[in-house]
Amino acid sequence: MSRSGNTFDAIVIGAGHNGLVAAARLTRAGRRVLVLEARDAAGGASATSEIVPGYAAPAIAHLVDAFPKRIERALKLARHGLRYAARDIPSVALDPDGGHVLLPRNRREFSRFAKRLPRDAEAYRDYADELHTQAALIAPLLGDMPPDLREPEALRKFFRRLIWRGEISGGSALQNLMRRLPESIGDRLDADFESPLLKGAIAFDATLGGAEGPYAPGTSFRAVWREALRTQGQGLRQIAGGPGALIQVLIEIVSAGGGELRLNAAVARVFIENGVAAGIELLDGTLLRAPLVLSAINPRVTLLELAGAQCVETHQALELSRAPRPGTTAKLNLALERAPLFTGLAAELHGARLLIAPSLQEVDEAAAACNEGRLTSAPVLELHMPSVADPALAPEGHHILSVIVHSAPHEVEGGWPMQREGFVQKVVRRIASFAPGIEEAMIAGEILTPPDIELKYGLAGGDWHQGDLRLDRLLAFRPAPGFGRYETPLAGLYLCGAGSHPGGGVTGLPGWIAAGAAIDKMEAGR
Amino acid sequence: MTPDSFPRPEEQQSETLHEEAVPVNSVDPADERAEVDPSLFEEESGEPPFARAVRTTPLHLETAAESRTNLWTAWNGYTVPQIFTDLGDEYRALRGAAALMDLSPLVKYRISGRDALAYLERLCAVPVGSLEVDRLRHVIFCEGSGMVLGDGLLFRLAADDYRLVTEETHLAWLIDSAEGFRVRVEDVSATLAVLALQGPLSAFLLAELGCDDIETLDPFAARWISIGGMPVYASRSGATGDLGYELWCDAEDAPHVWRTLLGKGATFGLRPAGFALRELARLEAGHPRAGVDYLSAFAAIDPADALPPAAIWPGFTIAPSKGLFNGGSALRAMHGTEPARRLVRLAVGGLEPARFASVSLNGEPAGLATTTGFSPALGANIALAVLANGAVGAAGLSVLAERREGLSVVETRLPAQVLLGPAFSHRRRLAVPAGLRP
Ligand SMILES: Cc1cc2nc3c(=O)[nH]c(=O)nc-3n(C[C@H](O)[C@H](O)[C@H](O)COP(=O)(O)OP(=O)(O)OC[C@H]3O[C@@H](n4cnc5c(N)ncnc54)[C@H](O)[C@@H]3O)c2cc1C
Repeated sequence: MSRSGNTFDAIVIGAGHNGLVAAARLTRAGRRVLVLEARDAAGGASATSEIVPGYAAPAIAHLVDAFPKRIERALKLARHGLRYAARDIPSVALDPDGGHVLLPRNRREFSRFAKRLPRDAEAYRDYADELHTQAALIAPLLGDMPPDLREPEALRKFFRRLIWRGEISGGSALQNLMRRLPESIGDRLDADFESPLLKGAIAFDATLGGAEGPYAPGTSFRAVWREALRTQGQGLRQIAGGPGALIQVLIEIVSAGGGELRLNAAVARVFIENGVAAGIELLDGTLLRAPLVLSAINPRVTLLELAGAQCVETHQALELSRAPRPGTTAKLNLALERAPLFTGLAAELHGARLLIAPSLQEVDEAAAACNEGRLTSAPVLELHMPSVADPALAPEGHHILSVIVHSAPHEVEGGWPMQREGFVQKVVRRIASFAPGIEEAMIAGEILTPPDIELKYGLAGGDWHQGDLRLDRLLAFRPAPGFGRYETPLAGLYLCGAGSHPGGGVTGLPGWIAAGAAIDKMEAGR
Repeated sequence: MTPDSFPRPEEQQSETLHEEAVPVNSVDPADERAEVDPSLFEEESGEPPFARAVRTTPLHLETAAESRTNLWTAWNGYTVPQIFTDLGDEYRALRGAAALMDLSPLVKYRISGRDALAYLERLCAVPVGSLEVDRLRHVIFCEGSGMVLGDGLLFRLAADDYRLVTEETHLAWLIDSAEGFRVRVEDVSATLAVLALQGPLSAFLLAELGCDDIETLDPFAARWISIGGMPVYASRSGATGDLGYELWCDAEDAPHVWRTLLGKGATFGLRPAGFALRELARLEAGHPRAGVDYLSAFAAIDPADALPPAAIWPGFTIAPSKGLFNGGSALRAMHGTEPARRLVRLAVGGLEPARFASVSLNGEPAGLATTTGFSPALGANIALAVLANGAVGAAGLSVLAERREGLSVVETRLPAQVLLGPAFSHRRRLAVPAGLRP
């Protein structure tokens, strides 16, 4: 093959972390890779951005909990400079009255937890046990390519393995899992728990990143799914330098392997020759050739807009275009001139992941308001102060507070330009009710509504998962039936972003598995 | 209440306005003079959504005037004559001279726009790229599973302008498939009338009416002609197994075209023919009809009733030039496997018309006859039948036939045999130039 300037072995569309992981794997396999990024910076939703000079915040995603060690090892991320500022970060449910609850990670913490919530301790232990058992059942499905739905033998093997795993983890594990599938987390919590604070925290985790409220069917299973995804990773961690540092490391690996990253290079369409993907065309008309194209951007955009409807059959186009609801998560990054004082929070927990979701009802109301395009006056939030463990992010003594706002509508009554200010006020007021005086410590801030996230960071719809993690959109059905194996009907075009199995989050898994699938396929084709 | 949720002044105002308005509209049951809202008893306008309209074709007045039997039937929601005079007479006209039929209830779509070809290429399981302007071809379209949704005739009217003619409606699927294509899909059934002029004298009759060179029109080609001064798009096509034309014209012009043709043709033996003859003729010619001989994959409640193209049209293969198309990946995956059931043509013994449905092989159920009739051409009962694949080549097929004798019904088992070709197919159908004399 000619190695002229416009011909590559593989082209990756979108330099989010998944695109870069895919590119890194391809480079490692000796492929000459070109990564194209529409924006002027790589990273997508995994980025570090300066709120004001000197204050660097995790722009969107702030913590990682499912980035597998095997990917880290295989790509030698540590050798290229990946460092963690904090590991095994605890989660704390903040109580308006100061009786915060640390979600226990070990026996010692559990006994403290049991003292604080004696009536829920037993139920929580059972809940956590069941969650682990069930997560262990499905976890092996997450790190691998889903089975081919068209191959009865593969399916048979898949189910046999699942049942076998169910058997060895106690006869009822699989049955329980089946029972949980259609259940709502809200109903489950109401049945088993008393503490509103605990219920709020669990419901928050089960629904974060999705549009459904805690009483929506399937949300109970989402908690299992999330837990299973966590087992792929190495506990809740904070990357030193913010998520952008991971991106820098990945870029370095790609370029060390002879790959190339081009910024400000928006892909306009996939170039098709003789019925197969043969490269891409940029917005400016430049044609770049490669026999392999991997897209880390939204699957619907990739297939229906970049490749074109003639590349998929009608039933597939219908599945893809049944657009999932747009993103429902917003981000607020604050620069603070001193550490906020959370009433009643122990000093060593300032670097924890703090949940403001004091009751199930508030989580539910926030979701209901969001579905109606309203802003709730009691937003539910996830807070993290990265500067506690990574002081380099802000000047000495100053801090960064990174806030994920759950259930923020993509389209709001009255329009975002009108509502932005009020929205920030509501979120800040909410935080202030837990950390009085925080307003006075604020020196700058950045608000990213779902449309902002879409516009500034290139996530279609501002969606966490590039397509919601609904039950009918998992595994081999993700992003749509028939697309579960990263391949597309257009030979040579693969999907490798969060829209593919196993979904969103900074996990690298879709990119890793997809690149593996593409390499295998090419090698088999030789 | 949080400060945010205090009603703003203007909201309060509108609320009071609303409260004042309430007593005016409401009925006080204690007040004997209270009037009942008359609108409650007004007659509902509009039809319930499940109502089926009975429609007539643009030729209804003409066909009604010709009907000697008052036998009508429903076809695609339209009322059409079943038999005008006598099925035997109409059949003899068709095979010996010519017959004129109103096919207006056929479903007609106009598909146009820059991406029309790309759209159709993906929609259809057969190649359409080579179709030239003023030509037509038989097309089959499938669902994602590779099962047939329908078949029809595709005309290329101009570079980016096509007409798809089908037996059943497919608008939802056509529109769903249009996503992502610059293409316009319209149902033009109501504005476009179709007359079928079929039989050995059909070319001659058109020539008599002043259509010069009509004999040079190739099979599966079409051109504009004029009949009685009306512009008519004539295609050399039809489902009778014989020479024939289908005439496409404006709904308003259709009655005049009909009268002109009958006026001129009657002396040469042209007769109007009804739906019964259309069915008999297509059965003789061996053409399956959607919704009768096979079910659209969407209508097949039992998935076994859905059939892949090769099970209905034995010659079907995926053309090498074909890229991605609807059902293609499923059909390619099926390649090499025999369909479980097939549509076949059957000839059944017995010298008089019989009624039958189930087909057996050595006494065991083997399939079902979907269309049956007595073929004068073959002098035998014939049928289209869906048979288990294994039964297709086997000897020992039979049907259980019913015959009425007076008031009693006699059941007899008649031997049946799979026909390799259609019961009727004349050389004339494809002859070039078309014969101007029988
Ligand atoms: C508010 C919010 C908070 C989150 N917090 C967390 C968290 O704390 N922890 C966690 O694990 N996950 C979190 N997530 C989810 C996580 O950020 C995403 O799931 C993940 O980053 C997706 O990565 P990706 O590489 O698949 O896609 P993306 O990061 O979306 O990358 C896609 C890239 O493609 C580019 N692109 C788009 N179109 C084109 C084109 N036509 N041509 C070229 N390039 C193009 C984009 O600019 C972008 O850079 C959060 C998500 C949101 C919305």
